[in-house]
Amino acid sequence: MPDIDMKDKKEEEKKDKKPDEEDKDKEEPKKEPPTPLAEIKTNVVHIERAVSTIEPRFTHRVLRTLSALRKRIDDGVLRGAVEDVFPKDSQNKSSLLSWLGPAPPSQPQEMDVDSSASASASAPGTKPPTPTAEPVPEVDVYFRLLILHHILKQSNNGADKDKLSKAKELAQETVQKMHALNRRSMDPIAARFWFAVERTYELIGDLAEARPMFLSAQRTAALRHDDDTQASLINRLLRSYLAYSLYDQADKLVSKTTFPASAGNPQLARYHYYLGRIKAVQLNYSDAHTNLQQSIRRAPPAKVAPGFYQAVHKLFVVVELLMGDIPDRSIFRHPVLEKALIGYFEIVKAVRTGSLSQFQQTLSKHASLFQADKTHTLITRLRQNVIKTGIRRLSLSYSLISLKDICVKLHLDSEEDAEYIVGKAIRDGVIEGKLVHEKGWMECSGAGGTKRGYGPEVADVFGRRIGYCLELHNESVKAMRYPLNAHRKELADAAGAREREKELVKEIQEGDLDDEDGDF
Amino acid sequence: MANLKALYDDLQRSFNANDLKKCGTLLSQLKIGLIEAGLLIPQGDPSLDDLIIARDILEIGAIWSIRTRDVPSFDRYFSQLQTFYTDYSSLLPPSKREYPIRGLNLVRLLTQNRIADFHTTLESLPLPADAIADNPYISHPVNLERWLMEGSYSKVWNAREEAPVEEYKFFVDSLMGTIRNEIASCEEAAYESLPLKDATTLLFFNNQSEMLTFAKQRGWQVDLSTSTVIFAKKGEENMEVPKEKLIAASLAYARELEQIV
Repeated sequence: MPDIDMKDKKEEEKKDKKPDEEDKDKEEPKKEPPTPLAEIKTNVVHIERAVSTIEPRFTHRVLRTLSALRKRIDDGVLRGAVEDVFPKDSQNKSSLLSWLGPAPPSQPQEMDVDSSASASASAPGTKPPTPTAEPVPEVDVYFRLLILHHILKQSNNGADKDKLSKAKELAQETVQKMHALNRRSMDPIAARFWFAVERTYELIGDLAEARPMFLSAQRTAALRHDDDTQASLINRLLRSYLAYSLYDQADKLVSKTTFPASAGNPQLARYHYYLGRIKAVQLNYSDAHTNLQQSIRRAPPAKVAPGFYQAVHKLFVVVELLMGDIPDRSIFRHPVLEKALIGYFEIVKAVRTGSLSQFQQTLSKHASLFQADKTHTLITRLRQNVIKTGIRRLSLSYSLISLKDICVKLHLDSEEDAEYIVGKAIRDGVIEGKLVHEKGWMECSGAGGTKRGYGPEVADVFGRRIGYCLELHNESVKAMRYPLNAHRKELADAAGAREREKELVKEIQEGDLDDEDGDF
Repeated sequence: MANLKALYDDLQRSFNANDLKKCGTLLSQLKIGLIEAGLLIPQGDPSLDDLIIARDILEIGAIWSIRTRDVPSFDRYFSQLQTFYTDYSSLLPPSKREYPIRGLNLVRLLTQNRIADFHTTLESLPLPADAIADNPYISHPVNLERWLMEGSYSKVWNAREEAPVEEYKFFVDSLMGTIRNEIASCEEAAYESLPLKDATTLLFFNNQSEMLTFAKQRGWQVDLSTSTVIFAKKGEENMEVPKEKLIAASLAYARELEQIV
């Protein structure tokens, strides 16, 4: 299951964007990471700032730290953070605390944390020591997100049923709450929350039950132009359809929705992966290939999210084989992929040599692996490719071969079959040659007869590549971010430049005269 | 509801007696009845027994459509059955007609040459991959597809008598038409000439006169003196430069480059 490891990609995003973050961020010392409690508190400040300045950037920054933070929190930290952030008699506070376990009697550790936390939390200077006002609802939902992740973590990947039902309850309550609040500044957090909701249902093993909820939420998100949530929800829905092999529905969903272009890389990578899956099942291999390639490009580095990286590559290898290409050897030497792709590597070898018996052997040997990866039916489709490769190899090495020999070499059932199969291969342009029925052999015109040169197909391939490069350029131009008001400075520069130009012109005019004088 | 029950019993009787005409009239009455009872597309919380009866009626309808050779009607019945097969699969006891009908649907997609749909449907079957081989209703179309794709046409031809249910044979004829055309196009490319007798066996014709009419349809030359079929070799396809396409592409590049510089 690819998504489990996908969560880690958020970390990667954090690293990715670090360089372009502004100096303000340096209040978080990089060398020694702040305690979880302090981090949560800083995050709360950020969220509040995001809401008050209507600038979702701050919220995104908070969410980027989510997956790293998630691993470090525990009951005590969450409890402490809730106590510190919410005012004493807040209703939200008591409801949040009710989701956490009973308070431990004494928290000596907590005191340490607290002192260092207040030190770093007071650094921004915006944090009052004792809150009196209710924080914005986004903070509440943020805490719920943290708590939900925490409960899921406690449930040991779904082993603890009690925790799971608790998580489900919390998920449902929060979803209702988010819906009732209907705040745009909540969208990024909500998008993340949906992921946690899906994870909850998946661990319970009842993803189908959550589908109506996702669908209605997706509708609402589309109406509100809530891109973050929409992207997240479309992926949730696709995943749930594909988990139940409902390719028809998934395909319809894709054709009826537009995936928001502003979605982040993690969502895009997932979306392309699901698209690739659907397309591959529908025999549309070249599209599937493009989608999977996109997915690989958008995916986090192999070390960060190995599960996703492996899953995409597995499908990618199969699709490449189905297209008649042989995947790069280097893929199978990649440290992350080497072990996971071993079965696929053997399949590739069988296809490459065109040995039908080897192919069948490998297929039955790794059948359970392929079934778990849901690539089994795709791989069985490769049979014809194996035969085609085999015939091509024969046609290259023999100029004349009897059908009987073909039959023996390719392990076909009968000469009759061999004749039809070779006939089809000739028609499909796999080989150049002809059959002589009376003598029962195949004559191959060899490599010399194949078409060479710059046909229209070459122009097509070039056209596609150039088109891709141009698109990449245009996308990069669009993706550039300019500092606000920078054009003012440029205008001033331009004015200055004009000044200088005038001077220059003057000088040249004067200089020209001088020069001419000198020349004479 | 009582009326519906009587009709249903009637339908089962005439279906078992293979009275196609009566089945047709009963089915249309029953469908109206099902809609009135809110069972055609189950709504609310219908009882299990009602759902089973509704499913039974639709299944009979699907098989009836095949027997009366009405493929679009089969398509409709099948999509109505989908609800029962997927959404209620956990509630209803499995139907013994489910897999024959699913298999028929697969064969139908195959004969209509809707290979992509065939694979999508196959993928969404609630069966593990190794169970497909053990299920005769499903493995039949799956094997057909595999043989068609790799070109083992003789296997397809031999399998036509091995249909797991009577109804599969309905599709055999159109399937044979498809593969004959496939073989013919292969022969055109692969042979220069072929003895008439061998061509007849390769194309699975029973006698030469059938072969001759078919050859005429495809526009093959038949040399009766030596009794061979001669395939006109298409000359080297004259390579045409797709001018307009190239010009359009070059103009587009020029425009893009202009933007970049």
